[in-house]
Amino acid sequence: MRSMSENLPTGSGSVADDSLAAWFSELPGLVCDATWAVGHVVERERMARETYRLRIECPAIAARILPGQFVMLRPAEGTDPLLGRPFALFDVADGPDGTARQFDIGFVVVGKLTRRMSRWEPGCPVAVWGPLGNGFPTEYQGHLVCVAGGIGQTPFLAVAREALGLRRYGSPPRQPASQSRRVTVLYGVRSAELLAGVEAFRTAGAAVFVSTDDGTQGHRGLVTDLLAAMLGQPLPAEQASATTEAVRNLPRPDRILCCGPEPMMQAVARLANEHGIPCWLSLETPMACGFGACFSCVVRVREQDGWDYRRTCVEGPVFAAERLAEW
Amino acid sequence: MDLSVRLNRLELPNPILVASGTFGYARELAAFVDFKRLGGIIPKTVTARPRKGNPAPRTIETPSGMLNAIGLDNDGIEHFLKHHVPHLLRLGAPLIVNIAGHDAEEFVALTERLNDVDGLAAVELNISCPNVSGGTDFATDPRLTARVVSDVRRVSRYPIIAKLTPNVTDVTVIARAAAEAGADAVSLVNTFTAMAVDWRRQRPILGNVTGGLSGPAIKPLALRAVFATARSVDVPVIGIGGISSLDDVMEFLVAGASAVQIGTANFYDPTVTMRILDELPDALRTLGADRVADVVGTIQLLDRPARPPQLAD
Repeated sequence: MRSMSENLPTGSGSVADDSLAAWFSELPGLVCDATWAVGHVVERERMARETYRLRIECPAIAARILPGQFVMLRPAEGTDPLLGRPFALFDVADGPDGTARQFDIGFVVVGKLTRRMSRWEPGCPVAVWGPLGNGFPTEYQGHLVCVAGGIGQTPFLAVAREALGLRRYGSPPRQPASQSRRVTVLYGVRSAELLAGVEAFRTAGAAVFVSTDDGTQGHRGLVTDLLAAMLGQPLPAEQASATTEAVRNLPRPDRILCCGPEPMMQAVARLANEHGIPCWLSLETPMACGFGACFSCVVRVREQDGWDYRRTCVEGPVFAAERLAEW
Repeated sequence: MDLSVRLNRLELPNPILVASGTFGYARELAAFVDFKRLGGIIPKTVTARPRKGNPAPRTIETPSGMLNAIGLDNDGIEHFLKHHVPHLLRLGAPLIVNIAGHDAEEFVALTERLNDVDGLAAVELNISCPNVSGGTDFATDPRLTARVVSDVRRVSRYPIIAKLTPNVTDVTVIARAAAEAGADAVSLVNTFTAMAVDWRRQRPILGNVTGGLSGPAIKPLALRAVFATARSVDVPVIGIGGISSLDDVMEFLVAGASAVQIGTANFYDPTVTMRILDELPDALRTLGADRVADVVGTIQLLDRPARPPQLAD
C-alpha cells in the first residue's frame, strides 16, 4: 500500500489533512485516488474453455494498480447488466513511453456480464473503476507459494513478477519490502481444458504444479494435496502422484498466498496454520460497488469480543488467514 | 444559476442529495466525488445500538435493478457521533443524519443525541426499511407514522424528513400523516419489497430471504408515487427511486419533487452526482427557469403534449 498521504483525494481540497487522513486509513483497502473512467477493450484472448483475458486501455488505473488489487467493470451503456463486477489484476502492459497504459483481467464465463464480456471486441467502451482494495503485502521473502483454485490464479501473475523483481507496479513504481528467491504456483482446476495462463506464470519465472479433479493433467485430486505434500505431510498411497512427490522435494514455504473457492481457501488456511506459515487469502465475495458504499461483500472477521461483518472491498480483499472467523 | 432549494426549515445549496445506504459514510466515495458540491450527504442509517446486519448474500442483481437486504449493519449512534460525524461535518456539504429505531421512544432518544451535535442540516427518519422489524411497519400505518414524526418534531432542534415506503396501498395517506405531524419534508420511495429465487437449489438467493428492489427498474413506480404525493401534501417531496441521470432528475422535479436523492446509481456510477450537477443548470434553462423551484411540479396534465411522447430508449 502507498501511504495515505499519497492517496488523499485531490478533488476534495478540504479533505487533505491529518485527521481526515486517519479516518480514511482505517480502511486499508480504501483507495483515495481510484478513478472511474470509460476505457476500451484493446484485445480479448481465449485462455481456456470459457476463460478469457481482456486487455483494457485505461492509463489512470494501469499506472497505479498493484498486485492483488482489483477493478470493477461494467458495460459503458445500458442498465442490464447494471452493477459492476470485481476482477483482480492479472497484469499491466506498457505504452510506447514505458509506463503502464493498459491492464489485463482474466475471467471465466459464469453469468450475464461475463457472457457478454466474452464477446467484447477491441474498441468496445467499458466503464471501469479502480484500483480498489488493499492488494497483497510485499514481504515476499524466501519461497513464496501461491495456491490457486480455478480462476483464482489471476492475481498471482503480477505477484510472481513483482516478487521475482521482473516488474514494478504503481505510480511511482514501488519497491517490494522484500523479494522472493523462488515462487511456486500450485494450481488446481476441475479439468485440464480450464488451465489458463500456465505459460505466463512459467515465463515470469514461477514453477507451476497442476492438479485436476479428473486427472486430465498433473495430480489427480485437490490442489490442497499438493500443498500438504509440500509441507511434508504423508499422503495415503491413493492420493500420491508424481506431482505430489515432485513438490515434496521443494523447500518449505516461507509465505503462502491463496485465492480460490472458499472451501479450498479454508483448507489452505488450516494447513498454513498447522505449519506456522504466514498465509494471506484473497477473497471474492459478491459486490455491488467495490468501494465500500453498499456493505454487500461482508465476511466474518475476528474481533476482540467475537466477530463482526467487515467489507471485503475496503478491508481486503486480501486478509491474513487468522483474521477470518470460523476459518 | 442559483440551484438552492428550500424545504420548509431546511435550506440546501442544490437539489442533488445522495441516499442513505448508498454512500457509506462518504469517505468511501472520496476518490469519485467532490463532496462540497453535493446538495446533501445522508450517511448510512444509524441505530441506537450496533447491528451486525444480515447474513450474506446481502445483494443480488435483477433486471435493471438490485435487491438488497443489508439489515442496517452499523456500529450504533455513539460510534457514529464520535467516529464519523466530526469528519462528515467538514466535508463541506449539508449533513442529514438518517436514523432508525424500534419504537417512537428510540427515535426520540436518537434525536436527542443528535441535538448534542452542532451543524447538522436535518434528520431523516428511516421509518421504511423493509429488511428489519420495527422498520417498514411505522410507515405502513398513518397513526404510527404520525406518532413517530410528532414525537421527534417535539424534541428535535433540526428539520425532519420522513422517509417513506412504497409498500403500501396509498403512500399519499402516509405522507399526509407525516406532514400533518410536523415533518418538514417527506422523502420517497424507499425500496420495494421483493425476492429472488434459485430454483435449482430451491432456495431464496438472499440470506434474508426477501430484500428491497432499487435501481432504474423502479424509476417509473417511484415517479408515480412522487407525483401523487406532491399533489396531495403541503410539504416538499424529495424524490428517490432509480434516479441515475440528469433526465431522471428533471423528470422527478417536473413531476413534483423539490429535491432528489441519488441511490443505487452511486454503486455503479459513483461520479454520477458530479455529472448531474454539471448539467443541471442548462436543463433548467431549457425550461426557461431561473431557479430549481420554477420547474418543481410544473407537469401539465390537461393540454395535449406539444410533440408526440418519445418512446423510452
